[in-house]
Amino acid sequence: MKHLIPEFEKLKQRFPAGFESSLVLPCVRRIQEDRGFVADSDIDGLVEYLGVPRIQIEEVLSYYTQFRRKPIGRWHLQTCRNLSCSMCGAERLMAHLKARLGIAPGETTADGRFTFSTVECLGSCGTAPVVMVNDTYHESMSIEKLDALIAKLD
Amino acid sequence: MPEIFINGHPVQAEKGQTVLQAALANGFYIPYFCWHPALSIAGNCRICVVQVEGRSWCEISCNLPVTDGMRVLTDSELVRAQRKDTMQFITLNHPVDCGICDKAGECTLQDYHYAYNGAPSISREPKVTATKFHDLSDRILLDNERCILCSRCVRFTREVSKSSALGITRRGDESLLRASEDGVLDRDAYSDNVIDICPVGALLSKSFLYKARVWYLKPTPSVCPGCARGCAVDIWHRKPEWKLRALDPQQNTSIARVTPRGAQGPDGPWICNKGRDLARIFERPRATAPMVKGKPVELAAALANVRSLIAAARHPAALVSGWGSNEEFAAFRAAFGDTFRVHVKHDHRPEPGEVVEDGFLIRADKNPNVAGARAVFGVGADSPPAWHGDTDLVLVWGEGCNFADLPRGAAVVFLNAYLAPENGHADVFLPISIATERAGHYTNFEGTVQGFAACFAKPQGASDAQALFESLATVAVATP
Repeated sequence: MKHLIPEFEKLKQRFPAGFESSLVLPCVRRIQEDRGFVADSDIDGLVEYLGVPRIQIEEVLSYYTQFRRKPIGRWHLQTCRNLSCSMCGAERLMAHLKARLGIAPGETTADGRFTFSTVECLGSCGTAPVVMVNDTYHESMSIEKLDALIAKLD
Repeated sequence: MPEIFINGHPVQAEKGQTVLQAALANGFYIPYFCWHPALSIAGNCRICVVQVEGRSWCEISCNLPVTDGMRVLTDSELVRAQRKDTMQFITLNHPVDCGICDKAGECTLQDYHYAYNGAPSISREPKVTATKFHDLSDRILLDNERCILCSRCVRFTREVSKSSALGITRRGDESLLRASEDGVLDRDAYSDNVIDICPVGALLSKSFLYKARVWYLKPTPSVCPGCARGCAVDIWHRKPEWKLRALDPQQNTSIARVTPRGAQGPDGPWICNKGRDLARIFERPRATAPMVKGKPVELAAALANVRSLIAAARHPAALVSGWGSNEEFAAFRAAFGDTFRVHVKHDHRPEPGEVVEDGFLIRADKNPNVAGARAVFGVGADSPPAWHGDTDLVLVWGEGCNFADLPRGAAVVFLNAYLAPENGHADVFLPISIATERAGHYTNFEGTVQGFAACFAKPQGASDAQALFESLATVAVATP
């Protein structure tokens, strides 16, 4: 986390003094982008850097389901389980992923390649069902397209 | 001063007050969970709703400032209906396990249920389950299912004890009260106050867990002797009318718990954790036999021995206890006049790991009444005492005296309540009562005088120091 402090300093200038707790969210977001998850040592470093009580950082990390406290696989497959996607076959996609990868939602394959999660609305109902792989949307998915996609992920 | 009307009655409110404060100050009760007079306004529980006359909706009175001529209703049909709905929501996932809950009998949720709801849950959904018996700290146990997320405890640690140890993690019906992972709550010297301010049975004291139903207990007003602050406390113990005869009679004379006594003390409704643990101080093994040179004797024989020691002494000195009451100091002074050269003693000193002093309540002087002694004898606690070179008798009253530091060759009369090796080393030893066995007053470091009452009878063989001084007084009067 220490190497990000110059970036945090720039962020800090955008907030009035005394609003250090408002910096928690952008800082942990940047940390996760950098490391892939937020480690305990990152929280300790942020407590020291921002001077906010540790519990406030823990509250932010646990409030947003997007934050992770542990490393995940190289490829993070997130299938939307909300209304439109479900009506367009998301449940079949999830069942297929579960069978093909041999893991339940929230788990990572033993080789560390894939982590599989189900999420609430990804905001792309018009192209349902949607599967997000790391930061990329894959729209109007089917089992065939999903298999072709997975084959390309090393 | 704005005048408002509560249920049609004119009320003089103070400027800046909220409707809730003005109502409570003038004898109108409005229920509240999350609001607390000493904490910031959270406004999350919604039970304190009132209706402003003419409006078709309710608003929360804890965050509604008074304005001149405002007319509020605390018991309109709309208010009653909304309160009932709010109670349905608050109890939606509450386990209603009052039968095994320590808070039962003094639980706000329980009281409000009978006052404002009274109906079983209308929900047919299974209740959300959460962690039970969660170790929040080494002193506090948390039942997340009982928690109604009022955030009083969170605000307490942020605004009063300043440890910022608590927070509400996750969200929605998965929200959980948690302590920060670095263990700050274990080091918060005021942490147990969150147990008192919890309006439900979510935060539980480990030392009081399943110990007693509160309706079998009664509070006796007392003063915490843990430091010179002298916080007003209630010592809770079994009601005499519910005395246990066969089952563990020890409980009849044990301290069940200690709580701050309302806002009547000099510093409001908080006490530190040491004040909660008075049993650790008071419930040590007691000395009950008077002794002469380590051999048990009758009290009369011991007193006769003391009388002759005082009569024979040319330069008697006394180490007066910083734990004595004002009444005992006055009795000492009346009984002995200027017979003794008086030194005041710090019976207790900070223990390893104890918070010595902070900017809030805890004082470095770990004795309740050094100020009272100074007022009577005109001397503070000097350490070590400036002994007169020819001191030939020392009356040591209370703990905290290392006999090796007494003047060489001086005879020692020792008054102590607890079993200690020194008891047998004194020329005469007299067992005395402790503060929970007698009434009296302490003067705190600011000069505030507060009284304490007796909770229990003193054990067979122990005497009140005041009675001992009075029975020894004749000797002192005869000595010029």
